[in-house]
Amino acid sequence: MKRITLLIITALAAMLAFSAGLVAASDDGYPDYDIIYTEPVVGVVFSHTFHVEEAGMDCDSCHDGVFEMEAQAAQAQPDYNMLALSEGRYCGVCHDGDTAFDSNSRCASCHIGVIGYNRANGIEEAAHGGH
Amino acid sequence: MNKMKLKLDKLINEGVENLSVEERRGFLKMGLVVTGVFAGGSLLSVTSNVDKAFASANQFAEKYPYKPHYSMIMHIDRCIDCELCKAACAETNKVPNYGFRTQILERPIPDGIDQKREFLPVLCNHCNVAQCTRVCPTKATYKNQQNGIVMMDTSKCIGCLSCQLACPYNARYFNEEKWAVDKCNFCFDTRLSKGEKLTACSDACPAGVRVFGDLSNQRDRVYKEVHTVSRTVWVLRPEAGTKPNVFYTRG
Repeated sequence: MKRITLLIITALAAMLAFSAGLVAASDDGYPDYDIIYTEPVVGVVFSHTFHVEEAGMDCDSCHDGVFEMEAQAAQAQPDYNMLALSEGRYCGVCHDGDTAFDSNSRCASCHIGVIGYNRANGIEEAAHGGH
Repeated sequence: MNKMKLKLDKLINEGVENLSVEERRGFLKMGLVVTGVFAGGSLLSVTSNVDKAFASANQFAEKYPYKPHYSMIMHIDRCIDCELCKAACAETNKVPNYGFRTQILERPIPDGIDQKREFLPVLCNHCNVAQCTRVCPTKATYKNQQNGIVMMDTSKCIGCLSCQLACPYNARYFNEEKWAVDKCNFCFDTRLSKGEKLTACSDACPAGVRVFGDLSNQRDRVYKEVHTVSRTVWVLRPEAGTKPNVFYTRG
């Protein structure tokens, strides 16, 4: 009987520790899905996974100085466009041709377009009439 | 002395394939195209390339048959598939959501550095040798004799869809409201005939992809870009031999 109680206590303690660990992970973790902007044009992709794991950036590389934590908050700003990027704001802080590729080049690296947006959201293309 | 004379009309053309690119380019800059190589490359025959488009491979346009000769050149590296062109086209020309007058295609580039895809805007190519007008049994689709636009007379269309099958560019759909085939007409009825200079798609493009203009006007941007020797310009499906008037380039 004592052994069973001990087992239960150990299991409970393990569960507590595990859940605590989970909370901690989501606190300083990052979204593992792509953020896709829809303004000012549809279909501009940002991947936390790439920027952290491949490019080796930290949270405070962008947050909160360049981008707010809230996903897509930037696209509510009226100046969130290519002009701002070329002037060194938002993505343009790094994408200046020096730190990372110039935001004035390789357009379709980030612009996945309506096609990419629909694919990511599982939207089927409208059927074409007549064939 | 007679033996030394070259009989030019009896010389055999040895073909221009082995001529270096530099040499050909040198002649192009002088406004000449090399058409033949004779006597081991010591003699070349050349012809003027003025007023000829470089885009259609071996099928140079001797001259542009229409005035204005409406044309479009796509700067495809700038296309981001925002589809504002499609939205503007649909609104201007009342294109139903099941149909299209222009489309954006996507091509994956697995080996690309950072950029792994490319978008390709397509529309009716308003071909000089249009196959759709050739097969139409009722002449419902025809080339406008002034400006070269491939038009639709919906009242004559019987919906046989022969034109759809003949078109190498998939530029046509059946419009159920009109009960006729519908297609791009460079916004002729909705904009150009009302004094507008641009098509709706060209006007709406935020990235400067779709440059619309007059290929018969040497001061027009379309003419200048198609005729720039250093610029690579191509057409879609040149093997179809249709002499399209929609050109593609990068940069």
